[in-house]
Amino acid sequence: MNKPLVGLIVGGVVGAFDGLSALVSAPEVAPQIATIVVGSTFKGVVVGLIAGFFARKVRSLALGIAVGLAAGLLFAYLVALSPDPATGKHYYWEIMLPGSLAGAIVGYATQRYGRRPDEARA
Amino acid sequence: MSGSGVRGVEPSDRALERLREVVQWPDLAGTRYELVGEVARGGMGVVYRARDRELERDVALKVIALEAADGSTAERLRREARTIARLEHPGIVPVHDVGTLPDGRVFYAMKLVSGRRLDELLRSGLPLRERLRLLLRIAEPVAFAHAHGVIHRDLKPENVMVGPFGEVLVMDWGVAKDRDQPAAPGGSTPAEVPGATAHGTIVGTPAYMSPEQARGDVEHVDARSDVYALGAILYFMLVGRAPGPASASPDAVTRTWVGPRTGSPRLQPPREIDPELPRPLEAIGLKALAAEPAARYPGVAELSADVARFLEGEPVLAYPEGLAERALRLATRYRTPILLVLAYVVMRVALLLVARV
Amino acid sequence: MAFPNTRRSLVLAVQSEDAQERARALEAVAVAYWRPVFRHLRFRFGARDEEAEDLAQGFFAAALEKGWLARYEPARGRFRSYLLACLQAYVANERRAGRRLKRGGGAATVPIDGVDADGEPSELPLAAATDLEAEFQREWVLGLLALAVRKLRERCAGTSRELALVLFERYDLEDCEPSERPRYQDLAREFDVPVTQVTNHLHWARQRLREILLETLRETTASEEEFRSEARALFGSEPS
Repeated sequence: MNKPLVGLIVGGVVGAFDGLSALVSAPEVAPQIATIVVGSTFKGVVVGLIAGFFARKVRSLALGIAVGLAAGLLFAYLVALSPDPATGKHYYWEIMLPGSLAGAIVGYATQRYGRRPDEARA
Repeated sequence: MSGSGVRGVEPSDRALERLREVVQWPDLAGTRYELVGEVARGGMGVVYRARDRELERDVALKVIALEAADGSTAERLRREARTIARLEHPGIVPVHDVGTLPDGRVFYAMKLVSGRRLDELLRSGLPLRERLRLLLRIAEPVAFAHAHGVIHRDLKPENVMVGPFGEVLVMDWGVAKDRDQPAAPGGSTPAEVPGATAHGTIVGTPAYMSPEQARGDVEHVDARSDVYALGAILYFMLVGRAPGPASASPDAVTRTWVGPRTGSPRLQPPREIDPELPRPLEAIGLKALAAEPAARYPGVAELSADVARFLEGEPVLAYPEGLAERALRLATRYRTPILLVLAYVVMRVALLLVARV
Repeated sequence: MAFPNTRRSLVLAVQSEDAQERARALEAVAVAYWRPVFRHLRFRFGARDEEAEDLAQGFFAAALEKGWLARYEPARGRFRSYLLACLQAYVANERRAGRRLKRGGGAATVPIDGVDADGEPSELPLAAATDLEAEFQREWVLGLLALAVRKLRERCAGTSRELALVLFERYDLEDCEPSERPRYQDLAREFDVPVTQVTNHLHWARQRLREILLETLRETTASEEEFRSEARALFGSEPS
C-alpha cells in the first residue's frame, strides 16, 4: 500500500487509541468518551494523511517524525481550543502532549512502511 | 651525433632499481601494447601495466614467467583468460585480449584495476557494518561464477580489489576450476590446486584454503570450498587476521599438517579474540569455516543471505537465539517506535498523576 | 644466445696457480663487487666516501694477501655469501684494530640515499642480520647493472648504434618519476625518427644489456648451477 494510505490507517488507529486513553489521564471525561474517540480518530486520520503525503516526497525518518509531531500538535491544539461542554475546562496539555506524540508515532510509521510512488512493485 | 646525449655519469639508485625490472620485461614489439611498468607478481606470471596504442588506454598484461614457459602453463594461462572472459560481471575483471608475445610467451590483457587491496583497506580500519556490506559485494561475483560453473579456489583478501566508490573486483582466477574447460587429460593435478603438495605440508597462504583443498583432495573441491574462503575473509574482517589456532601469529602465513587427514587445527573462535563481537556473526563465520563441507552453507548465496539478515536485525540461520537474545534484538531493531510509544504511555501516566495532585 | 661459454669464471681464476692470472682475476672481481663492498663498509663505519674507498681497497688488498678468495669452495655456497662473510670478518678486525664504528654500526641498519643532519649517511634500522645479506645482494645486483651499463656505453659509443644508446639513456636511465617519463612518441619527435624505430632501438639496447649482464654474471659465479640460479633471480627466468 502507498504511504498516504498507511498514514490514514495508522493515524486512525492511533487516534482512536489516543482518544480512548484519555480515560487514563482524565477519567472525568468518560461521559463524552464516544465524541472524544470519534474526534480523535478523525484527527489521527488527517495527521496520518499529512504525514503520508510528506513521506512520499521526503525520505527522512527524523523529518517524518517531526512532521507527524507538528501536525499532531497543531490539530490537537485546534481541538483543545473548544472547552469541555460540561465543565468549561480547557484540556490543553492533556490533549496536545499526547496528540503530538501520537503524531510522531504516525510519522514514524509513514516513513518506515508503505510504498513511495517511484518504488517498483515487488 | 657522436658523443651527444651520452652521459658518463653512473645511473642513480632509482634508475638502477627500475633497470632491474626493465631487464626482466617482455618484449612487446609488434604488438599494440607499450610497456609501462610492473604491477604485481603472481604464481603463474607477472602482471605489467601497458598502454594499448589502438584504444589509447592503459591495461594490465598478465604474462607467463619465462621459467614456466612450457606448453602446459601456456595453456593454463589461456584457459584462465577464457574462464574470466566468459564471466561478464561488474565484480569480475574483464578480459580484453589474449595472445602470444614475440618471444613466445602467452599473455592476456585485462582491465587495469585501480583501488586498494582488501587486506590493506581492512587494516586501515572500517566500521563493522561497512565491512559486512563489503563482504556481500564480494560474494556477488563469486556466486555469479558458481552459477556459471566456475569455482575460484583461491579467494583471499589479497585477491580482492576495492575501488574508490566501494566497488569490488575479484582478481586472480588463475587456479579456478571451470566446468566448461576440463583440465588437460589426466585431470587437474594437486599441483594445480593452490598450495597443496604430495606430502601433506602446505606452503603459501593456506589460511583461506578449505581443508579439502589443502589436502589436495581435488575430487571434493566444489562451491563450498569458496564458501570456506569467504568465511575466512569474514573471520579476517572480524578479528584482523586469518583463521587459525590461538598460537598463530598475526601474520601467520603457513600452516602444516603432519601426515594426511589428521584434521584441521582448531580455529580460534572470534569471540575469544574480541568478546565484543556479536554472537550471530561469530556463528556465521564458524559455520562457513566448518571443516566438513556438508556442515557449511550450501552456497555463497546462503552465506550472503545470513549476513544480510544480521545487518537487517533479523535472526540468523547459523545462530538459534535464546528468548532473551531475541527480545534484545527486537528491541534494538524497533527501538525508535518503542521509544515513541513508551514516551506516549509515560505522558499519559504523568498527566494522570499531575491531575491527581 | 646459445653459444657455449668460453669465458672462464673469474671466481675460479682467482684460485689459479699463476700469480698474474690471480691478480688480474682479483681485480676483475673487485670491480664487479666494488659497489656492495663499498656501501657495506661505508655505513658500517659511518665513513665518508673517501674513507670508505680506502677501506674497500684495504679489504681487497687483504683478500689478495691473505688468500681468502683462493680458499673459496663452490660446494659450500654462493661466492657472494662467502665474500660477505670475509667482509664481516674484515670489519670485525678493523674494529679490534681500533677503528670506530658508526653509532649503531654494530646493529644492522640499511643506508638510504641522502644524508642526515650531521652529514652522515641516513640509515634505517633493520630487524636482523639476514637483512644485511639481502642488502648486500641488492647492492651487488645494482652494481652489476651499473657495470653492464658502462660496458654498453663503451661498446656503443662512436658506432652506428649510438642512437639506440642515446634513446636508452633518455628512456630507461632517466632518473625521474614514472609519470614524468617521456612517451615513445615524444622521443620519436625529439630525435626525428618514427615511433617504430624508437621501439626497435630500445628493444635492441635492452637485449644487449641483458647479454652483457649474463656475461658478467658468468664471470662472477663459480658454477653452472650458481649462474643459473643467479640468472633466475635477476631476470625472473632461465637464461636460454
